[in-house]
Amino acid sequence: MTLSEIADGKLAPRLGIKLDNISKRYGEHTVLDDVSLHVEPGTVTALIGPSGAGKSTFLRCINLLERPDSGTIQVDQHTIEPGKDVNSRDLAALRRTVGMVFQSFNLFPHMSALKNISFPQQKVLGRSKEEADERSRQLLERVGLKEKADQHPGKCSGGQQQRIAIARALALDPAIMLFDEPTSALDPEVGLEVLAVMRELAADGMTMIVVTHEMHFARDVSDTLVVMADCKIIEQGDPRAIMSDPQEARTRRFLRAVLER
Amino acid sequence: MTWLTEWAGYLPQLMSGLAVSLLIAGISIFFGYPLGLVLSLMVTAKNLAVRTLGLAVVEIGRGAPALVILYLFYYGLPKFGIAFESITAACLALTWNSAAYSSEIMRAGLQSVARGQLEASNALGLSQRDTFFRVVMPQGMRSAIPGLMGVAIQMFQGTSLAYGIAVPELMKTAYNIGSQDFNYLQIFTLAGLCYAVISMPATWITVFFEKRMARHT
Repeated sequence: MTLSEIADGKLAPRLGIKLDNISKRYGEHTVLDDVSLHVEPGTVTALIGPSGAGKSTFLRCINLLERPDSGTIQVDQHTIEPGKDVNSRDLAALRRTVGMVFQSFNLFPHMSALKNISFPQQKVLGRSKEEADERSRQLLERVGLKEKADQHPGKCSGGQQQRIAIARALALDPAIMLFDEPTSALDPEVGLEVLAVMRELAADGMTMIVVTHEMHFARDVSDTLVVMADCKIIEQGDPRAIMSDPQEARTRRFLRAVLER
Repeated sequence: MTWLTEWAGYLPQLMSGLAVSLLIAGISIFFGYPLGLVLSLMVTAKNLAVRTLGLAVVEIGRGAPALVILYLFYYGLPKFGIAFESITAACLALTWNSAAYSSEIMRAGLQSVARGQLEASNALGLSQRDTFFRVVMPQGMRSAIPGLMGVAIQMFQGTSLAYGIAVPELMKTAYNIGSQDFNYLQIFTLAGLCYAVISMPATWITVFFEKRMARHT
Protein backbone atom coordinates (compact mmCIF):
# COMPACT_ATOMS: atom_id res chain seq x y z
CA MET A 1 0.00 0.00 0.00
CA THR A 2 1.16 3.49 -0.67
CA LEU A 3 1.18 6.26 1.87
CA SER A 4 -1.93 7.94 0.53
CA GLU A 5 -3.83 4.67 0.23
CA ILE A 6 -3.22 4.20 3.90
CA ALA A 7 -4.04 7.83 4.40
CA ASP A 8 -7.49 7.43 2.96
CA GLY A 9 -8.61 3.86 3.37
CA LYS A 10 -11.48 4.43 0.94
CA LEU A 11 -9.25 5.78 -1.81
CA ALA A 12 -11.43 8.88 -2.01
CA PRO A 13 -11.09 10.88 -5.22
CA ARG A 14 -8.51 13.62 -4.93
CA LEU A 15 -9.93 17.10 -4.67
CA GLY A 16 -8.66 20.37 -5.96
CA ILE A 17 -9.27 23.74 -4.39
CA LYS A 18 -10.12 27.13 -5.83
CA LEU A 19 -9.31 30.29 -3.96
CA ASP A 20 -10.57 33.49 -5.49
CA ASN A 21 -9.96 37.13 -4.63
CA ILE A 22 -8.67 36.47 -1.13
CA SER A 23 -7.88 39.67 0.75
CA LYS A 24 -6.70 40.08 4.30
CA ARG A 25 -5.68 43.14 6.23
CA TYR A 26 -4.77 43.84 9.82
CA GLY A 27 -6.08 47.31 10.49
CA GLU A 28 -4.45 49.55 7.90
CA HIS A 29 -1.86 46.93 7.02
CA THR A 30 -2.65 44.81 3.97
CA VAL A 31 -1.28 41.26 4.06
CA LEU A 32 -3.07 39.74 1.09
CA ASP A 33 -4.28 41.82 -1.79
CA ASP A 34 -6.84 40.04 -3.98
CA VAL A 35 -5.00 36.72 -4.32
CA SER A 36 -6.46 33.91 -6.46
CA LEU A 37 -5.12 30.41 -6.84
CA HIS A 38 -6.59 27.32 -8.46
CA VAL A 39 -5.10 23.98 -7.50
CA GLU A 40 -5.89 20.92 -9.62
CA PRO A 41 -6.60 17.60 -7.94
CA GLY A 42 -3.52 15.50 -7.29
CA THR A 43 -1.02 18.27 -7.95
CA VAL A 44 1.68 19.79 -5.81
CA THR A 45 1.84 23.56 -5.58
CA ALA A 46 4.91 25.18 -4.07
CA LEU A 47 4.58 28.70 -2.68
CA ILE A 48 7.85 30.60 -2.54
CA GLY A 49 8.84 34.19 -2.07
CA PRO A 50 10.55 36.62 0.29
CA SER A 51 9.47 36.66 3.92
CA GLY A 52 6.61 39.03 4.57
CA ALA A 53 5.15 38.27 1.15
CA GLY A 54 2.05 36.74 2.72
CA LYS A 55 2.73 33.09 1.86
CA SER A 56 2.00 31.67 5.29
CA THR A 57 -0.99 33.93 5.82
CA PHE A 58 -2.40 32.83 2.47
CA LEU A 59 -1.88 29.17 3.38
CA ARG A 60 -3.55 29.71 6.74
CA CYS A 61 -6.50 31.38 5.01
CA ILE A 62 -7.19 28.16 3.14
CA ASN A 63 -8.38 26.30 6.26
CA LEU A 64 -9.49 29.53 7.93
CA LEU A 65 -6.87 29.59 10.68
CA GLU A 66 -6.76 33.17 9.44
CA ARG A 67 -10.10 34.59 8.42
CA PRO A 68 -9.79 36.46 5.10
CA ASP A 69 -11.77 39.70 4.89
CA SER A 70 -13.13 38.77 1.48
CA GLY A 71 -12.94 36.19 -1.27
CA THR A 72 -14.24 32.68 -1.83
CA ILE A 73 -12.88 29.23 -1.12
CA GLN A 74 -14.26 26.38 -3.21
CA VAL A 75 -13.63 22.72 -2.43
CA ASP A 76 -15.64 19.79 -3.74
CA GLN A 77 -18.84 21.72 -4.65
CA HIS A 78 -18.73 23.60 -1.34
CA THR A 79 -18.23 27.31 -1.52
CA ILE A 80 -17.23 29.26 1.55
CA GLU A 81 -17.22 33.02 1.74
CA PRO A 82 -15.03 33.80 4.74
CA GLY A 83 -15.89 37.51 4.65
CA LYS A 84 -19.42 36.58 5.70
CA ASP A 85 -20.56 34.32 8.50
CA VAL A 86 -19.25 30.81 8.10
CA ASN A 87 -21.43 28.26 9.81
CA SER A 88 -19.72 25.69 11.95
CA ARG A 89 -20.79 22.79 9.74
CA ASP A 90 -19.07 24.29 6.69
CA LEU A 91 -16.01 25.06 8.77
CA ALA A 92 -15.86 21.50 10.11
CA ALA A 93 -16.28 20.10 6.59
CA LEU A 94 -13.51 22.33 5.27
CA ARG A 95 -11.12 21.34 8.03
CA ARG A 96 -11.92 17.67 7.59
CA THR A 97 -11.02 17.94 3.91
CA VAL A 98 -7.84 19.91 4.46
CA GLY A 99 -4.95 18.67 6.61
CA MET A 100 -2.17 20.94 7.82
CA VAL A 101 1.44 20.56 8.89
CA PHE A 102 3.11 23.40 10.78
CA GLN A 103 6.63 24.75 10.93
CA SER A 104 6.73 24.15 14.68
CA PHE A 105 5.06 20.70 14.49
CA ASN A 106 2.53 21.55 17.23
CA LEU A 107 2.22 18.01 18.47
CA PHE A 108 0.39 17.61 21.77
CA PRO A 109 3.26 17.28 24.27
CA HIS A 110 1.19 15.47 26.90
CA MET A 111 0.25 12.62 24.58
CA SER A 112 2.34 9.78 23.15
CA ALA A 113 3.03 9.75 19.41
CA LEU A 114 0.31 7.13 18.97
CA LYS A 115 -2.21 9.12 21.01
CA ASN A 116 -1.38 12.26 19.04
CA ILE A 117 -2.47 10.47 15.89
CA SER A 118 -5.34 8.43 17.34
CA PHE A 119 -7.05 11.04 19.51
CA PRO A 120 -8.18 13.33 16.63
CA GLN A 121 -9.43 10.29 14.66
CA GLN A 122 -11.60 9.24 17.59
CA LYS A 123 -12.93 12.74 18.18
CA VAL A 124 -13.32 14.02 14.64
CA LEU A 125 -14.14 10.87 12.69
CA GLY A 126 -15.69 8.90 15.54
CA ARG A 127 -13.41 5.92 15.03
CA SER A 128 -13.10 3.41 17.83
CA LYS A 129 -9.85 3.37 19.77
CA GLU A 130 -8.83 0.06 18.15
CA GLU A 131 -9.55 1.30 14.62
CA ALA A 132 -7.75 4.57 15.28
CA ASP A 133 -4.73 2.90 16.86
CA GLU A 134 -4.44 0.47 13.97
CA ARG A 135 -4.48 3.31 11.46
CA SER A 136 -2.01 5.26 13.55
CA ARG A 137 0.43 2.34 13.69
CA GLN A 138 0.20 1.87 9.91
CA LEU A 139 0.97 5.54 9.35
CA LEU A 140 3.79 5.56 11.89
CA GLU A 141 5.32 2.60 10.10
CA ARG A 142 5.02 4.36 6.75
CA VAL A 143 6.83 7.44 8.04
CA GLY A 144 9.47 5.16 9.54
CA LEU A 145 8.63 5.66 13.18
CA LYS A 146 6.93 2.45 14.26
CA GLU A 147 9.18 2.17 17.29
CA LYS A 148 8.26 5.68 18.48
CA ALA A 149 4.57 4.92 19.05
CA ASP A 150 4.73 5.08 22.82
CA GLN A 151 7.22 7.95 23.07
CA HIS A 152 6.15 11.45 23.92
CA PRO A 153 7.04 14.17 21.38
CA GLY A 154 9.59 15.66 23.78
CA LYS A 155 11.66 12.51 23.41
CA CYS A 156 11.68 12.69 19.60
CA SER A 157 13.96 14.71 17.32
CA GLY A 158 12.51 17.58 15.30
CA GLY A 159 12.44 15.50 12.14
CA GLN A 160 10.67 12.67 13.92
CA GLN A 161 8.16 15.08 15.43
CA GLN A 162 7.39 16.54 12.03
CA ARG A 163 6.86 13.08 10.56
CA ILE A 164 4.51 12.25 13.43
CA ALA A 165 2.68 15.51 12.70
CA ILE A 166 2.32 14.50 9.05
CA ALA A 167 0.93 11.12 10.13
CA ARG A 168 -1.49 12.89 12.49
CA ALA A 169 -2.85 15.00 9.63
CA LEU A 170 -3.03 12.07 7.20
CA ALA A 171 -4.93 9.94 9.71
CA LEU A 172 -8.00 12.11 9.17
CA ASP A 173 -8.12 11.20 5.45
CA PRO A 174 -7.65 14.73 4.11
CA ALA A 175 -8.07 15.29 0.38
CA ILE A 176 -5.67 18.23 0.45
CA MET A 177 -2.56 18.76 2.57
CA LEU A 178 -1.13 22.15 3.50
CA PHE A 179 2.49 22.42 4.58
CA ASP A 180 3.65 25.64 6.25
CA GLU A 181 7.45 25.67 5.97
CA PRO A 182 7.62 22.11 7.27
CA THR A 183 11.42 21.95 7.30
CA SER A 184 12.33 25.50 8.33
CA ALA A 185 12.74 24.61 12.01
CA LEU A 186 14.93 21.59 11.22
CA ASP A 187 18.61 21.01 10.60
CA PRO A 188 19.19 20.53 6.86
CA GLU A 189 20.00 16.84 7.25
CA VAL A 190 16.99 16.18 9.45
CA GLY A 191 14.83 18.11 7.00
CA LEU A 192 15.65 15.50 4.36
CA GLU A 193 13.72 12.76 6.15
CA VAL A 194 10.65 15.01 6.21
CA LEU A 195 11.08 15.92 2.55
CA ALA A 196 11.35 12.22 1.70
CA VAL A 197 7.96 11.59 3.27
CA MET A 198 6.50 14.55 1.39
CA ARG A 199 7.96 13.33 -1.92
CA GLU A 200 6.36 9.96 -1.36
CA LEU A 201 3.05 11.60 -0.58
CA ALA A 202 3.29 13.70 -3.75
CA ALA A 203 4.14 10.63 -5.81
CA ASP A 204 1.02 8.96 -4.45
CA GLY A 205 -1.06 11.77 -5.88
CA MET A 206 -1.96 13.78 -2.80
CA THR A 207 -3.06 17.33 -3.52
CA MET A 208 -0.50 19.46 -1.71
CA ILE A 209 0.17 23.14 -1.17
CA VAL A 210 3.59 23.76 0.31
CA VAL A 211 5.07 27.01 1.57
CA THR A 212 8.77 26.37 1.43
CA HIS A 213 12.29 27.70 1.15
CA GLU A 214 13.51 24.34 -0.16
CA MET A 215 14.18 25.26 -3.77
CA HIS A 216 15.19 21.75 -4.83
CA PHE A 217 11.95 20.37 -3.50
CA ALA A 218 9.99 23.14 -5.20
CA ARG A 219 11.70 22.48 -8.51
CA ASP A 220 11.73 18.68 -8.48
CA VAL A 221 8.47 17.81 -6.79
CA SER A 222 5.98 20.59 -7.46
CA ASP A 223 3.77 20.76 -10.53
CA THR A 224 3.11 24.45 -10.11
CA LEU A 225 5.42 27.04 -8.66
CA VAL A 226 3.79 30.14 -7.23
CA VAL A 227 5.90 33.16 -6.42
CA MET A 228 4.49 35.64 -3.94
CA ALA A 229 5.81 39.08 -3.11
CA ASP A 230 4.27 42.18 -1.59
CA CYS A 231 0.94 40.55 -0.68
CA LYS A 232 0.34 39.23 -4.21
CA ILE A 233 1.08 36.33 -6.51
CA ILE A 234 3.51 37.82 -9.00
CA GLU A 235 4.25 34.75 -11.08
CA GLN A 236 3.11 31.17 -11.40
CA GLY A 237 3.65 28.23 -13.69
CA ASP A 238 6.02 25.39 -14.43
CA PRO A 239 8.70 25.38 -11.72
CA ARG A 240 11.63 24.65 -14.04
CA ALA A 241 10.58 27.33 -16.49
CA ILE A 242 10.22 29.96 -13.79
CA MET A 243 13.46 29.03 -12.09
CA SER A 244 15.49 29.08 -15.30
CA ASP A 245 13.73 32.04 -16.89
CA PRO A 246 11.73 34.19 -14.47
CA GLN A 247 9.53 36.78 -16.16
CA GLU A 248 9.35 39.27 -13.29
CA ALA A 249 12.28 41.30 -12.03
CA ARG A 250 11.16 40.70 -8.44
CA THR A 251 11.19 36.93 -9.03
CA ARG A 252 14.64 37.14 -10.55
CA ARG A 253 15.94 39.09 -7.56
CA PHE A 254 14.45 36.59 -5.12
CA LEU A 255 15.70 33.52 -7.00
CA ARG A 256 19.18 34.99 -7.27
CA ALA A 257 19.21 35.48 -3.52
CA VAL A 258 18.16 31.90 -2.71
CA LEU A 259 19.83 29.97 -5.52
CA GLU A 260 23.15 31.74 -5.93
CA ARG A 261 24.19 32.08 -2.34
CA MET B 1 12.37 19.06 79.91
CA THR B 2 9.30 20.58 81.51
CA TRP B 3 8.31 22.01 78.08
CA LEU B 4 8.26 18.56 76.55
CA THR B 5 6.11 17.10 79.33
CA GLU B 6 3.74 20.07 79.10
CA TRP B 7 3.55 19.70 75.33
CA ALA B 8 2.79 16.02 75.71
CA GLY B 9 -0.13 17.01 77.93
CA TYR B 10 -1.44 19.63 75.48
CA LEU B 11 -1.06 17.55 72.37
CA PRO B 12 -4.27 15.44 72.41
CA GLN B 13 -6.44 18.56 72.71
CA LEU B 14 -4.39 20.41 70.15
CA MET B 15 -4.72 17.55 67.69
CA SER B 16 -8.49 17.94 67.60
CA GLY B 17 -7.94 21.61 66.76
CA LEU B 18 -5.50 20.65 64.02
CA ALA B 19 -8.09 18.24 62.62
CA VAL B 20 -10.60 21.10 62.36
CA SER B 21 -7.99 23.31 60.65
CA LEU B 22 -7.20 20.59 58.13
CA LEU B 23 -10.90 20.02 57.50
CA ILE B 24 -11.52 23.70 56.74
CA ALA B 25 -8.44 23.87 54.54
CA GLY B 26 -9.49 20.69 52.73
CA ILE B 27 -13.02 21.90 52.09
CA SER B 28 -11.95 25.33 50.89
CA ILE B 29 -9.46 23.75 48.47
CA PHE B 30 -11.82 21.01 47.32
CA PHE B 31 -14.53 23.51 46.40
CA GLY B 32 -12.31 26.53 45.81
CA TYR B 33 -10.18 25.11 43.00
CA PRO B 34 -13.00 23.98 40.69
CA LEU B 35 -14.65 27.32 41.36
CA GLY B 36 -11.32 28.97 40.57
CA LEU B 37 -11.24 27.20 37.22
CA VAL B 38 -14.73 28.50 36.42
CA LEU B 39 -13.67 32.02 37.48
CA SER B 40 -10.53 31.86 35.35
CA LEU B 41 -12.73 31.10 32.33
CA MET B 42 -15.20 33.84 33.23
CA VAL B 43 -12.42 36.41 33.50
CA THR B 44 -11.25 35.56 29.96
CA ALA B 45 -14.76 35.24 28.51
CA LYS B 46 -15.81 37.33 25.52
CA ASN B 47 -19.16 38.22 27.09
CA LEU B 48 -18.77 41.49 29.00
CA ALA B 49 -21.32 40.67 31.71
CA VAL B 50 -19.73 37.29 32.43
CA ARG B 51 -16.27 38.83 32.46
CA THR B 52 -17.30 41.64 34.78
CA LEU B 53 -18.95 39.26 37.22
CA GLY B 54 -15.90 36.99 37.21
CA LEU B 55 -13.55 39.93 37.72
CA ALA B 56 -15.63 41.26 40.62
CA VAL B 57 -15.60 37.92 42.42
CA VAL B 58 -11.86 37.48 41.86
CA GLU B 59 -10.87 41.01 42.78
CA ILE B 60 -12.95 41.09 45.95
CA GLY B 61 -11.65 37.66 46.93
CA ARG B 62 -8.06 38.78 46.44
CA GLY B 63 -8.41 42.42 47.36
CA ALA B 64 -10.19 42.13 50.68
CA PRO B 65 -8.38 40.49 53.61
CA ALA B 66 -9.76 37.02 54.27
CA LEU B 67 -10.67 38.11 57.80
CA VAL B 68 -12.96 40.82 56.45
CA ILE B 69 -14.80 38.32 54.27
CA LEU B 70 -14.95 35.91 57.18
CA TYR B 71 -16.56 38.58 59.40
CA LEU B 72 -18.96 39.60 56.65
CA PHE B 73 -20.15 36.02 56.28
CA TYR B 74 -20.45 35.40 60.01
CA TYR B 75 -21.52 38.75 61.43
CA GLY B 76 -22.73 40.60 58.35
CA LEU B 77 -25.07 38.19 56.56
CA PRO B 78 -27.42 37.58 59.52
CA LYS B 79 -28.61 41.14 58.79
CA PHE B 80 -30.28 39.61 55.72
CA GLY B 81 -31.55 36.65 57.65
CA ILE B 82 -28.73 34.39 56.48
CA ALA B 83 -26.98 32.88 59.45
CA PHE B 84 -24.22 30.28 59.32
CA GLU B 85 -22.54 28.08 61.86
CA SER B 86 -19.11 29.54 62.52
CA ILE B 87 -17.36 26.64 60.82
CA THR B 88 -19.62 26.93 57.75
CA ALA B 89 -18.91 30.65 57.55
CA ALA B 90 -15.19 29.93 57.75
CA CYS B 91 -15.40 27.34 54.97
CA LEU B 92 -17.41 29.68 52.71
CA ALA B 93 -15.09 32.64 53.22
CA LEU B 94 -11.93 30.62 52.69
CA THR B 95 -13.44 28.87 49.67
CA TRP B 96 -13.98 32.29 48.12
CA ASN B 97 -10.43 33.21 49.02
CA SER B 98 -8.92 30.06 47.50
CA ALA B 99 -11.14 30.31 44.41
CA ALA B 100 -9.98 33.89 43.80
CA TYR B 101 -6.28 33.16 44.24
CA SER B 102 -6.31 29.85 42.37
CA SER B 103 -8.25 31.35 39.46
CA GLU B 104 -5.43 33.76 38.68
CA ILE B 105 -2.87 30.95 38.81
CA MET B 106 -5.01 28.78 36.54
CA ARG B 107 -5.64 31.66 34.14
CA ALA B 108 -1.89 32.19 33.85
CA GLY B 109 -1.42 28.45 33.35
CA LEU B 110 -4.08 28.22 30.64
CA GLN B 111 -2.73 31.29 28.86
CA SER B 112 0.79 29.87 28.92
CA VAL B 113 -0.28 27.06 26.58
CA ALA B 114 1.36 27.71 23.21
CA ARG B 115 -0.80 29.27 20.50
CA GLY B 116 0.29 26.53 18.12
CA GLN B 117 -1.59 24.00 20.23
CA LEU B 118 -4.86 25.81 19.51
CA GLU B 119 -4.01 26.16 15.84
CA ALA B 120 -3.22 22.47 15.55
CA SER B 121 -6.49 21.58 17.29
CA ASN B 122 -8.44 23.90 14.99
CA ALA B 123 -6.71 22.61 11.88
CA LEU B 124 -7.52 19.03 12.92
CA GLY B 125 -11.16 20.05 13.33
CA LEU B 126 -11.38 19.25 17.04
CA SER B 127 -14.39 20.76 18.77
CA GLN B 128 -13.89 23.66 21.18
CA ARG B 129 -14.80 21.37 24.03
CA ASP B 130 -12.25 18.71 23.13
CA THR B 131 -9.67 21.41 22.48
CA PHE B 132 -10.17 22.86 25.94
CA PHE B 133 -10.52 19.71 28.01
CA ARG B 134 -8.08 17.46 26.18
CA VAL B 135 -5.45 19.84 24.84
CA VAL B 136 -5.38 23.17 26.69
CA MET B 137 -6.42 22.19 30.21
CA PRO B 138 -4.04 19.27 30.76
CA GLN B 139 -1.10 21.45 29.71
CA GLY B 140 -2.25 24.60 31.49
CA MET B 141 -3.03 22.80 34.73
CA ARG B 142 0.34 21.10 34.67
CA SER B 143 2.13 24.41 34.76
CA ALA B 144 -0.30 25.68 37.41
CA ILE B 145 0.35 22.84 39.85
CA PRO B 146 3.24 24.37 41.82
CA GLY B 147 1.31 27.63 42.24
CA LEU B 148 -1.82 25.78 43.31
CA MET B 149 0.14 23.82 45.88
CA GLY B 150 1.45 27.12 47.22
CA VAL B 151 -2.10 28.42 47.57
CA ALA B 152 -3.07 25.21 49.38
CA ILE B 153 -0.38 25.86 51.99
CA GLN B 154 -1.56 29.46 52.30
CA MET B 155 -5.11 28.24 52.78
CA PHE B 156 -4.05 25.89 55.54
CA GLN B 157 -2.28 28.71 57.37
CA GLY B 158 -5.22 30.99 56.61
CA THR B 159 -7.52 28.73 58.60
CA SER B 160 -6.02 30.35 61.72
CA LEU B 161 -8.20 33.38 60.86
CA ALA B 162 -11.25 31.31 61.76
CA TYR B 163 -10.10 31.89 65.32
CA GLY B 164 -11.72 35.29 64.90
CA ILE B 165 -15.20 33.76 64.75
CA ALA B 166 -14.61 31.18 67.48
CA VAL B 167 -14.17 28.12 65.26
CA PRO B 168 -12.45 25.49 67.46
CA GLU B 169 -9.50 25.16 65.11
CA LEU B 170 -5.82 24.95 66.02
CA MET B 171 -5.33 28.59 67.12
CA LYS B 172 -8.55 28.74 69.09
CA THR B 173 -7.74 25.48 70.84
CA ALA B 174 -4.25 26.72 71.66
CA TYR B 175 -5.64 29.97 73.04
CA ASN B 176 -8.15 28.13 75.21
CA ILE B 177 -5.43 25.89 76.65
CA GLY B 178 -3.23 28.92 77.25
CA SER B 179 -5.90 30.82 79.09
CA GLN B 180 -6.27 27.95 81.56
CA ASP B 181 -2.70 27.93 82.89
CA PHE B 182 -1.19 31.03 81.23
CA ASN B 183 1.61 29.01 79.60
CA TYR B 184 1.06 31.02 76.42
CA LEU B 185 4.68 30.77 75.32
CA GLN B 186 4.72 26.99 75.41
CA ILE B 187 1.32 26.46 73.86
CA PHE B 188 1.70 28.95 71.01
CA THR B 189 5.16 27.59 70.23
CA LEU B 190 3.62 24.15 69.98
CA ALA B 191 0.78 25.49 67.81
CA GLY B 192 3.33 27.13 65.52
CA LEU B 193 5.19 23.84 65.28
CA CYS B 194 1.97 22.07 64.32
CA TYR B 195 1.46 24.51 61.43
CA ALA B 196 5.08 24.11 60.39
CA VAL B 197 5.03 20.32 60.53
CA ILE B 198 2.31 20.36 57.86
CA SER B 199 3.41 23.38 55.83
CA MET B 200 7.13 22.71 55.54
CA PRO B 201 6.96 19.25 53.95
CA ALA B 202 4.22 20.59 51.69
CA THR B 203 6.59 23.35 50.59
CA TRP B 204 9.30 20.80 49.90
CA ILE B 205 6.92 18.79 47.77
CA THR B 206 6.04 21.97 45.86
CA VAL B 207 9.70 22.71 45.20
CA PHE B 208 10.21 19.11 44.11
CA PHE B 209 7.34 19.46 41.63
CA GLU B 210 8.69 22.76 40.34
CA LYS B 211 12.05 21.14 39.66
CA ARG B 212 10.43 18.17 37.94
CA MET B 213 8.40 20.47 35.69
CA ALA B 214 11.45 22.50 34.79
CA ARG B 215 13.19 19.30 33.75
CA HIS B 216 10.46 18.32 31.32
CA THR B 217 9.95 21.63 29.53
